[in-house]
Amino acid sequence: MTDIRIDVAVIGAGPAGVAAGIGAREAGAEHVVVFERDWDLGGILQQCIHPGFGLHTFKEELTGPEYMHRWIERAHGAGVTFRTNTMVFRMEEDGSFWTMNPNEGIRHVHAGAIVLGMGCRERPLGAIRVPGSRPAGIYTAGTAQRFVNMEGYMPGNRVVVLGSGDIGLIMARRMMWEGASVEGVFEIMSWPGGLRRNIAQCLDDYGIPFYLDHTVTRVHGKDRLEGVTVAKVDANKKPILGTERFVACDTLLLAVGLIPENELSRMAGVQIHPVTGGPVVNQCLQTTRENVFAAGNVVIVYDLVDWVSAEGYKAGKNAALFALDGLPKATRRFDVRGGENVRLFSPQWLSDQEDATIFLRVTKPVEQRCRVTADHGLFSKTLRYARPGEMNEVHIKAEQLRMLPPDVREITVDVEEE
Amino acid sequence: MIQRLFDVIIIGAGIVGAALARELSAYAMRVAVLDKAAEIPSGASRANSAMIHAGYDDKPGTQKARFCPSGNRRFHELQGPLDFTLRECGSYVCAFEEDEIRHLDALLDQGKRNGVPGMEIISGDTLRDREPHASREIRAALWAPSGAIVNNFEAVLAFMDNAQQNGVELFLETQVTGLLCSEEKQEVFGVETTKGRFLAPVVINAAGVHAGEISRMAGEESVRIRPTRGEYFITDKTVGHLVKGFFFACPSAKGKGITVASTAEHNLLIGPTSTPQTDLEDTSTTMKGLEEVLDGARKLVPDIPSGAVITSFAGVRANTLSGDFNIAVLRKPRGFVNVAGIKSPGFTSAPAIALHVVEMLREELADRVIMTPNPHFVPERTHIPRFAELSMEEREALVRRDPRFAQIVCRCETVTEAQVVEAIRRGARTVAAVKIWTRAGAGRCQGGFCGPRVADILARELGIPLEEVTRHGGHSRLLVGRTKEYWFRGNE
Ligand SMILES: Cc1cc2nc3c(=O)[nH]c(=O)nc-3n(C[C@H](O)[C@H](O)[C@H](O)COP(=O)(O)OP(=O)(O)OC[C@H]3O[C@@H](n4cnc5c(N)ncnc54)[C@H](O)[C@@H]3O)c2cc1C
Ligand SMILES: Cc1cc2nc3c(=O)[nH]c(=O)nc-3n(C[C@H](O)[C@H](O)[C@H](O)COP(=O)(O)OP(=O)(O)OC[C@H]3O[C@@H](n4cnc5c(N)ncnc54)[C@H](O)[C@@H]3O)c2cc1C
Repeated sequence: MTDIRIDVAVIGAGPAGVAAGIGAREAGAEHVVVFERDWDLGGILQQCIHPGFGLHTFKEELTGPEYMHRWIERAHGAGVTFRTNTMVFRMEEDGSFWTMNPNEGIRHVHAGAIVLGMGCRERPLGAIRVPGSRPAGIYTAGTAQRFVNMEGYMPGNRVVVLGSGDIGLIMARRMMWEGASVEGVFEIMSWPGGLRRNIAQCLDDYGIPFYLDHTVTRVHGKDRLEGVTVAKVDANKKPILGTERFVACDTLLLAVGLIPENELSRMAGVQIHPVTGGPVVNQCLQTTRENVFAAGNVVIVYDLVDWVSAEGYKAGKNAALFALDGLPKATRRFDVRGGENVRLFSPQWLSDQEDATIFLRVTKPVEQRCRVTADHGLFSKTLRYARPGEMNEVHIKAEQLRMLPPDVREITVDVEEE
Repeated sequence: MIQRLFDVIIIGAGIVGAALARELSAYAMRVAVLDKAAEIPSGASRANSAMIHAGYDDKPGTQKARFCPSGNRRFHELQGPLDFTLRECGSYVCAFEEDEIRHLDALLDQGKRNGVPGMEIISGDTLRDREPHASREIRAALWAPSGAIVNNFEAVLAFMDNAQQNGVELFLETQVTGLLCSEEKQEVFGVETTKGRFLAPVVINAAGVHAGEISRMAGEESVRIRPTRGEYFITDKTVGHLVKGFFFACPSAKGKGITVASTAEHNLLIGPTSTPQTDLEDTSTTMKGLEEVLDGARKLVPDIPSGAVITSFAGVRANTLSGDFNIAVLRKPRGFVNVAGIKSPGFTSAPAIALHVVEMLREELADRVIMTPNPHFVPERTHIPRFAELSMEEREALVRRDPRFAQIVCRCETVTEAQVVEAIRRGARTVAAVKIWTRAGAGRCQGGFCGPRVADILARELGIPLEEVTRHGGHSRLLVGRTKEYWFRGNE
């Protein structure tokens, strides 16, 4: 078995991993390798051929592949090595890991530090327990997107979308463009799962019906999907008797949530947060194993790629510093808590050595002015609204943290109506 | 119309048809197995509890009581030579109330009379020492160490694969639509199918829930199947460790009730319900079913989280009025054999039933089929390497032999391209068949990632356009066409 030694290893060449590679090189690591199981670089963005990427980073609206092209060029310029078609399939507790590909076979990689950038995967039908038969024609929106945008195949002609995550909304429009009919998007919650901008641009502009408080209660068909039963749900998300109706369709696209892909992280013994589904990290993106860092959708599902790239860069930089001379030890440590109307947040703890950005999502929408605050007067900002589909950020300076009274060990973040 | 000539035709490639085909392949004769599905297993053998029962459930003297313990022994014997996964987990029947404890005594006694080895009644505390997640409410349990869990997909494939190695021919997507008989149904000489006629002096009906229809074609009305659906849920492997043994609640009038077990691959299997229905094929699951299954399972193992479910499925039992198996050589038409009403513990019993049917042919149909040994019979076969389960050294060796072992196709279950290609070489023609052979798509993402890749490999290896790849045969195509072609087809 071949053993390989490198300075910084990055797993996954999506926006997080590519930026991590650059960050690691620019912070001085010599031998930086990004391992990617796909044939091409770019992660999920390869199949996102719609515009809307990079407004923050490049002040331009790029498509996913255009956006990634810029980062990949920069990575090549910085001297990052890429290994594509190479799967990391096992990880050890010490952080070493195993890769394989048909040219090189199996290799055992030891790195000074690792950045996890595996992204996330889509939730399948079974996970949301929609009963019925199991015909062909049920896809996650991302799988359908790959078929249509990258391989040039149509998964079906008459489409129902379950869930209103961004991928589903974008695919509803895409299927329409390809000549399919889209019978509707059904969302079990009382608010959309994706960005408002996507509701407007993908559904409203094309007259695609959008039903909140609705779900699919059954799928029908033996060989190919023939239709779904949809129903309105009550406050407990239970279908309301008598509201069921049959919608004929040959395709059901699922946009019912993303799950951070953390099988490798678990093997490495990294602590996983029960709510985010990603590793517990601090603002340096360091996990509970000090040589393992993580960034991007593997940590928490972001809605804007610019944040993913920025966090990836930071993770790569800190991984390189760790591998070279070790990160400065935190003299103080603060646990972050989600307070009023905060469902998920990351990082989960802060050291007093670095400026911090806390990302968070609200539990329920607030359609009026509200405030995001971090207690002890660390942060306060007014928002025009706060919606579960859209992430908010909180910025805290390291010196503010250092100035906190010695008995402060926790920082609570709240979102409250004004 | 093509006509093909055989010595024996078996209708149905479930565990019964497959086990029988394998036993018959030890004889020098031409055997055809016909199944209407595009992959095996497809019927009850695909969707069941995968338990190799110890054999204490059935009344002494019944066919079930006769074939279950011997089938169990045969599964243990054949596991090595046929290379399928069998985990000797043992089973517990759990009693919550006083009268249930009395019932355990009765089961123990019945088991002893049926020849089941090693059974004992243990206290609730002893149970919880061994199985810390078992409910505190359980007061006693009947322990049967010979109960085992099998990978039912692999077992059916193993019997059939070995049969095919020994010359048996399997015809998939070949539905039997009629029986060919002489005047007045005196003698059988073959079957009519959707793929033409198949001729043989002996026809064996192993058609599962459809055994009633096939039997009626022969004029025998006594086989009446009353389909009863059982719904199941499979959880992520992260909770597979909750139990080691196979858990049953004390049986009630409704049957064996909800069970909890860790599958051969360490997922948790919970179910089944028991719902009579009229449709023989309807394997859909329901909201109500899930609730019933979760509630029932949590009675036995309270720690089961509801969020861990990754998929659901249902199987249809071939219940009959008599409640027992119906295995018989008909007097009229000569040459027709029923192996019908094979409900639970039918999976367990199948290899023993197969040996019995071979004996029946030898004794009762000697004038129609000659049973000389097959000089080329090879009693063992190996499964496609289970890459995920191998050591790093074994994996390296495979990769050196074939670099496609280093190409991951299914990331949840670590299935490689070499395995998928081998499954296709051995007969897989659909995405579902590849899953049955290799577990590609059986993991937590349920094929979201590997589905398109498996489809690509199928298209390439079978030399067909991607649009013709199906999920499970018939009209279950994955794709409706190329994107741009869509416009040319107009508004059909
Ligand atoms: C349909 C859709 C529309 C979107 N629209 C927008 C938009 O308009 N604007 C915007 O800013 N953002 C948008 N986003 C969000 C943005 O694309 C994501 O936030 C971003 O792609 C996440 O990057 P990542 O690197 O964390 O993960 P990914 O892009 O998922 O990359 C992870 C990579 O890791 C690899 N990998 C995983 N496991 C392994 C392993 N074991 N071994 C080797 N490699 C591995 C994967 O193959 C993949 O390439 C959209 C996302 C989607 C899906
Ligand atoms: C919910 C449930 C739980 C169970 N649990 C257990 C258990 O734990 N242990 C156990 O031992 N047993 C169990 N059983 C019973 C066991 O699964 C069955 O007894 C066994 O699988 C029956 O096998 P078979 O070959 O007779 O039928 P099947 O597996 O149903 O096979 C019949 C085959 O015939 C084919 N066929 C039908 N009609 C035609 C036709 N006209 N032309 C061509 N082909 C045709 C079908 O496609 C099918 O492949 C369970 C059953 C169910 C439903």
